[in-house]
Amino acid sequence: MSQAAKTAARQVKPILSLNKEEARKRVLNLYKAWHRQLPYIVKQYDIPKNIPQCREKLREEFTKYNNIQDVRVVDMLIIKGQMELKEVVEVWKQKGHIMTYFKESQEPKPKDFISKFLAGVN
Amino acid sequence: MANYFGLSAITNFFKTISSHGGLRASLAKMYRMDSVRMGTCVGTDKYGNKYYENKSYFYGRNRWIEYAPYYALEYDGSQIPAEWFGWMHYKTDLIPSQDPSRPQYKWMTDHTENLTGTPGQYMPYSTTRPKIEAWSPTKA
Amino acid sequence: MLRFTVSKVLNGAKNGPKTLTVLTRWQSDQAKKPEKIEVFIDDKSVMVEPGTTVLQAAALVGVEIPRFCYHERLAVAGNCRMCLVEVEKSPKPVAACAMPVMKGWRVKTDSEMTRKAREGVMEFLLVNHPLDCPICDQGGECDLQDQSMAFGSDRSRFVDNDFSGKRAVEDKDIGPLIKTTMTRCIHCTRCIRFASEVAGVDDLGTTGRGSDMQVGTYIEKLFLSELSGNIIDLCPVGALTSKPYSFTARPWEIRKVDSIDVLDAVGSNIVVSTRTGEVLRIMPRINEEINEEWLSDKSRFAYDGLKRQRLVTPMLRDSSGELKPVDWEAALLTVGKQIKNAGDKIGAVAGGFADAELLISVKDLLNRLGSENLCTEHVFPMDGSGTDLRSSYLLNNKIAGAEEADLVLLVGTNPRLEAPLLNSRLRKAYIHKELEVAMIGPEVDLRYEYEHLGADPNVLKNIASGSHAFAKKLKSAKRPLIIVGSDTLERPDGAAILASVQALASSASPQEKSWKVLNVLHKVASQVAALDIGYTPGVEKIRNGNLKVVFLLGADEGAITKEDLPKDCFVIYQGHHGDRGALLADAVLPGAAYTEKQATYVNTEGRAQQTLVAVTPPGRAREDWKIVRALSEVVGEKLPYDNLDEIRDRLEQVAPHLTRYGRAENANYFKQAAALAKSANLDSTPLDVKIKELKDFYMTDSISRASPTMAKCVQAALKQKEAKC
Repeated sequence: MSQAAKTAARQVKPILSLNKEEARKRVLNLYKAWHRQLPYIVKQYDIPKNIPQCREKLREEFTKYNNIQDVRVVDMLIIKGQMELKEVVEVWKQKGHIMTYFKESQEPKPKDFISKFLAGVN
Repeated sequence: MANYFGLSAITNFFKTISSHGGLRASLAKMYRMDSVRMGTCVGTDKYGNKYYENKSYFYGRNRWIEYAPYYALEYDGSQIPAEWFGWMHYKTDLIPSQDPSRPQYKWMTDHTENLTGTPGQYMPYSTTRPKIEAWSPTKA
Repeated sequence: MLRFTVSKVLNGAKNGPKTLTVLTRWQSDQAKKPEKIEVFIDDKSVMVEPGTTVLQAAALVGVEIPRFCYHERLAVAGNCRMCLVEVEKSPKPVAACAMPVMKGWRVKTDSEMTRKAREGVMEFLLVNHPLDCPICDQGGECDLQDQSMAFGSDRSRFVDNDFSGKRAVEDKDIGPLIKTTMTRCIHCTRCIRFASEVAGVDDLGTTGRGSDMQVGTYIEKLFLSELSGNIIDLCPVGALTSKPYSFTARPWEIRKVDSIDVLDAVGSNIVVSTRTGEVLRIMPRINEEINEEWLSDKSRFAYDGLKRQRLVTPMLRDSSGELKPVDWEAALLTVGKQIKNAGDKIGAVAGGFADAELLISVKDLLNRLGSENLCTEHVFPMDGSGTDLRSSYLLNNKIAGAEEADLVLLVGTNPRLEAPLLNSRLRKAYIHKELEVAMIGPEVDLRYEYEHLGADPNVLKNIASGSHAFAKKLKSAKRPLIIVGSDTLERPDGAAILASVQALASSASPQEKSWKVLNVLHKVASQVAALDIGYTPGVEKIRNGNLKVVFLLGADEGAITKEDLPKDCFVIYQGHHGDRGALLADAVLPGAAYTEKQATYVNTEGRAQQTLVAVTPPGRAREDWKIVRALSEVVGEKLPYDNLDEIRDRLEQVAPHLTRYGRAENANYFKQAAALAKSANLDSTPLDVKIKELKDFYMTDSISRASPTMAKCVQAALKQKEAKC
């Protein structure tokens, strides 16, 4: 890395983590927190999923972002994940909000001509 | 004496069964009405429902109806016609045939049961004219 | 009948001030450019030709003088006095609409005197005008309302009618289209002038004088004309309003969409007024080259046909032989299967309302399937050059060009009812210029005089050979026109008639090179576009093709019947109305009517114009070309366009003029077309037209047949005919 890039990298203000290692710890902590919450989610929200299915979904939601390298982006996602968790724990969410992790409630808009034609949208 | 030993319950049991015409008939009644009670038939309405009374039961359970056989298991309270409604609900102790004050006019309509959930039910409909009248191939 | 020519007026034959001023406008076109004179409007200098009125001069500098009776397309009456203006050194205010300017005049349109004059006139007008604006249909688009706000006083000195009441006039019954509330009339006489000058029906007039004056038909009579609806637009107050539109909407509630009329081949420009997804009325839009500011009654009032007998869902004929509603998926799959099985044994018939986009997509689809059986419902002779040369099927000299003609020969056509706005042009030229009209065909009422040369088509031959007296006239005419009706060309000897007309046209010697003598007048809106795109006119191909699938594109005129087709033939009807075509269909695909799609139509002069979407297609109906596009995908011959721009690109590839909206592409090769035409023998059966009288005019297509208003008009016309007054 050139000197200029280094100074630039140093100059950005960290959100939470100072380096990757720290960010990784935070991600794992968040993951564990979610993981511990899963049995309560299944019970409190009365969703038609069992705990292994929820674990799978949790893993999927986390691995969705496994290509992200920027610490600041990772931090941002951690914050968002924590907010989500808070909402779940406090039962600010409802059953439907939980189920949208598994399936979008909205039908995707038709894209090609024939499905647009059948749906009557242009 | 029999009462004292609770034997009357047993005799009543057998009396009830025999009044319904045997064990099979009693079981059938039990299946249909969830209870087998002994009582006197005080009247029948024009739809074939029979009304029973047994004063030895306590108030509230001492009048009951046995719906006409063709209702089978599809019976409900709205099938009781208006003239028997009062008797069933203890508004009066006089059955319709004994009550002289009942009005009888020729314009009074027949009783209809609650049709909700059946094909005859009321469906709200729009009274505004449609903006576009569609072509129907049969009319033309 | 009103007819005064320039020469008559100049000779001073019974000319009032009214007739004189009519002619000033026409004269100014013809005069040899006299010197311009300078006048001052509100101290702004403007150079005008002599004979210009004050009002016209003011319009040149952008000053609009208020008026009620004056209308630029009608004779000047000068009786409303609203246009009074002050002229310097003139003791009295001057009626601007009737007074020609003099050199050096200083006109003051905003002076104290002018304003007082206007206020006074307005006060007089309102003495007897009812204050029923809240229940008046004109409310919101009323000239009197607007001008009393702008120029009127806030109170009146005529308070005695608080006790005596205002003038009351009985309402007239003048037909199923026009509602009259004669107490609102301010006697501007616009309707009277329109009826006698433009429509040629001298039924309206005034009776009585002063405050007893009444406008009406003198005897109890219906005002029936093919242009009668225009007096609704002309009326500056709410005396004449539209009967079908009465009490439906206010102008500020409606959305206006510019569009094109397709009920005849003229392609009048219209404004479609809609509210809550419903067409409420249709009004004309000014286009000097086509309809000026008029509109024929069928185009104006047949819109209620768009709400009845509509096809709103795809339908398939089930095993019991009845059409049953299905969804699009089922319909497309069934139709697609039939088309796949048919292979190249498939044909299409285009009806009168098919737009260019639909025509091109169907043509592309059928061509991909290996079929060339593309026909139009209306016949056009194919001998000689046929439809290869555009000049042989267009109204070449354009609609506006008809005004300039000095001799018109009508061959087997009734322009008054086939194209009312072309006829109004001819009548205009007949009245204001020295137009002579001759007619070969049935003796129909055109509302102007013409020389009837008989109904025998052989007259054409005689004129061509010079043995007929008319030949000399045609030769000597400077701007002759020959207008052939498409009815005539549908005859078995149509080719021979076209050939002899072409020969006749090339024998005429117009003064200008660009003048085009040969004109064909079509009856339906789709025909020119269909021929441009390459459809074969006439359904012979369908009858003889032994086809397995026939596609009817709104073909409702009964050109194809069940008997014409093989027993196992699968008929697909695509259109917007349940009419004759839908009855014989095995599958019905609901399309959009002209107010519901953005589509291209080419009028009889070859002018491409587009309609715009005013309301959405009802129910499950779709835009027509999209149905064909979707079908093509099901069939497996996917057409390469997904949106309007792409299909318009395709149109441009085929015929570039189809997307040049508003422009009429000129046609050429008259000589070659005439040379290619084979001179076959003419039948001696007399020429005839289908629409002879007013009662035949109202219901001619699937939209107007579905319209209750048009049905009422037919009844009224029949009643009028029986009464015979």
